[in-house]
Amino acid sequence: MRESYSKENKVGEGTYAVVYLGTRQSDSKKIAIKEIKTSEFKDGLDMSAIREVKYLQELEHPNVIRLMDIFMAYNNLNLVLEFLPSDLEVVIKDKSVLFTQADIKSWLLMTLRGVHHCHRNFVLHRDLKPNNLLISPEGIIKVADFGLARAVPNPREILTSNVVTRWYRAPELLFGAKHYTYAVDVWSVGVIFAEMLLRVPYLPGKDDVDQMEVTFRALGTPTEKDWPSVSMFPSYNKLQIYPPPSRDELRNRFIAVSSSALNLMCGMLEMNPGNRWSTVQCLESAYFKELPSPSNPADINISSS
Amino acid sequence: MSAQFEMQLYLSRPYLTRQQILCAQKNTIHDRRSYNRKKLLIIKFLTDLTLQLNLPRKTLETAIYYYQRYHLFNLFETELCYTVATSCLVLGCKQAETFKKANEICTLSLRLRKMSNINSEVLDAFKKRIFQIELRILESCGFDYRVNNYVHIDDYIFKFGKTYALDVNICHTAWIIAYDVLKLDLLLTVPQHIIALATLKVACKLLEKPENLCSQYEMGNTDRDLINEAYFSIINFYINAFDLCDLKDNLPSYIPPISIERFMVLKANSGPEEGLTELTESDVGSDRFLEEQRQYSVRERRYVLSTDIMRDEVEALKISGR
Repeated sequence: MRESYSKENKVGEGTYAVVYLGTRQSDSKKIAIKEIKTSEFKDGLDMSAIREVKYLQELEHPNVIRLMDIFMAYNNLNLVLEFLPSDLEVVIKDKSVLFTQADIKSWLLMTLRGVHHCHRNFVLHRDLKPNNLLISPEGIIKVADFGLARAVPNPREILTSNVVTRWYRAPELLFGAKHYTYAVDVWSVGVIFAEMLLRVPYLPGKDDVDQMEVTFRALGTPTEKDWPSVSMFPSYNKLQIYPPPSRDELRNRFIAVSSSALNLMCGMLEMNPGNRWSTVQCLESAYFKELPSPSNPADINISSS
Repeated sequence: MSAQFEMQLYLSRPYLTRQQILCAQKNTIHDRRSYNRKKLLIIKFLTDLTLQLNLPRKTLETAIYYYQRYHLFNLFETELCYTVATSCLVLGCKQAETFKKANEICTLSLRLRKMSNINSEVLDAFKKRIFQIELRILESCGFDYRVNNYVHIDDYIFKFGKTYALDVNICHTAWIIAYDVLKLDLLLTVPQHIIALATLKVACKLLEKPENLCSQYEMGNTDRDLINEAYFSIINFYINAFDLCDLKDNLPSYIPPISIERFMVLKANSGPEEGLTELTESDVGSDRFLEEQRQYSVRERRYVLSTDIMRDEVEALKISGR
């Protein structure tokens, strides 16, 4: 049988894979081929590759990257993914791209829909950041890179807290929690929301210790009152206690955003993971019901002016 | 620069009937007695490895699924089977999210086989072989990660037990039976939640407790056939290979002594033996998925999960006349 894909130029290289641009022969559609480097790891096939296939096979949603195919070639494992030429990090950083509150609302809505789909299929993403929110040629945001994802753990299962890129890491992970939930992803989306509004990273810690300092200085150090048992974490006693920001302070930080936008952000950046909003609460928030309506993704111009 | 590939296309079929399994094994297992004898030793070996590495039952179950699946499409070689088993455990750890360093697993594997002089050279050569087999295992599963992902037998024994308020002794007995199930080909035939239900059904019968799991568990006819397949496979195992079972040696005090006769009575009281409908011998025999050995010399091998993609490919081939 003749294959239906052609592999063209190399477009990127990560720790465990090389990404090529390709074409699907049947409809000349651009695709991305991720060639997994199988022989170069001391533990065999990399966990990230396994997780990527495992979870993308289970998930099918307009706001989640699509795994189209898997094939072995020259004894290398290849994943065929839809080709997504841009990502949110590039757009946020490119100051020549101008976007509106309605555009931000549209991006946040698409992100939350993608993350909600993961959660309702019992998958934690654990590495949400602008760089992993890819943008299709039609302007659709797609959650990508499931290399750190995992199924929702059983109640007594012990997990590693060394997940999520530092700036987007939830407080329970900063404290080294051995068990956590969907709330870690919601926190990351909250930080991404703030970054879209500010156009600079919201909580840019220099290292793991500084990340705690930066996070709690900006959002207040959690206390036993709002997060019972938080002081049981070993690193808690070394913390400087900062008060949470007042509503006025938040308004000054995020000028020109509506009250419901601030409510949503506060819900997503709730210190206590038990009280943090779920993706359903986020999607049902007043922010998405008030004007301006989210932009039509295809109408958002993300190319430099 | 652009390249085009010569390809083979496989549709994932994670579960097969008994006849289909036998058909596939015809190509790969030339001495069935030797395979069966080794399989029991491998299960013991993998059990020892998982115990010493402090891994849960789900990892063992995943490794055994891989071991059996591998030998549907790859030649069974007695001298290689411990290496294959170790590779299955390395991969099983990754699949079940109970990650262990390959070094740790490989060293222990060599040590359990009483290998002397385990130096870094020996270890590296062993690991290299393990990683080559790892991909072959995944190919024999069609890269279908849906199996052994969320559903494992022991998890579901307790989930069903809790949902249907079953006695703890029933669940405990089912959990012991579930270990014996790993010796059968059942993991290749029916999904794990079905095995969990079947073990609970056997446990209820052994403990002489009333059970109506089949009516409690909302199921269609397919599920009923699957449960019957699993139930009768388990009963037949205890009748045909009672000496090999672990249940008799690990019998909880609350179960009256068991014997082959006890299972024969169970079977006699269970009505006609039902299960999955087998295709005719000629249909099974003409199934190229089972009949043909895997061609690793074909450089590109594509794996799909959906029949729709398969259908699209066939249509595209018809149109292009290839």
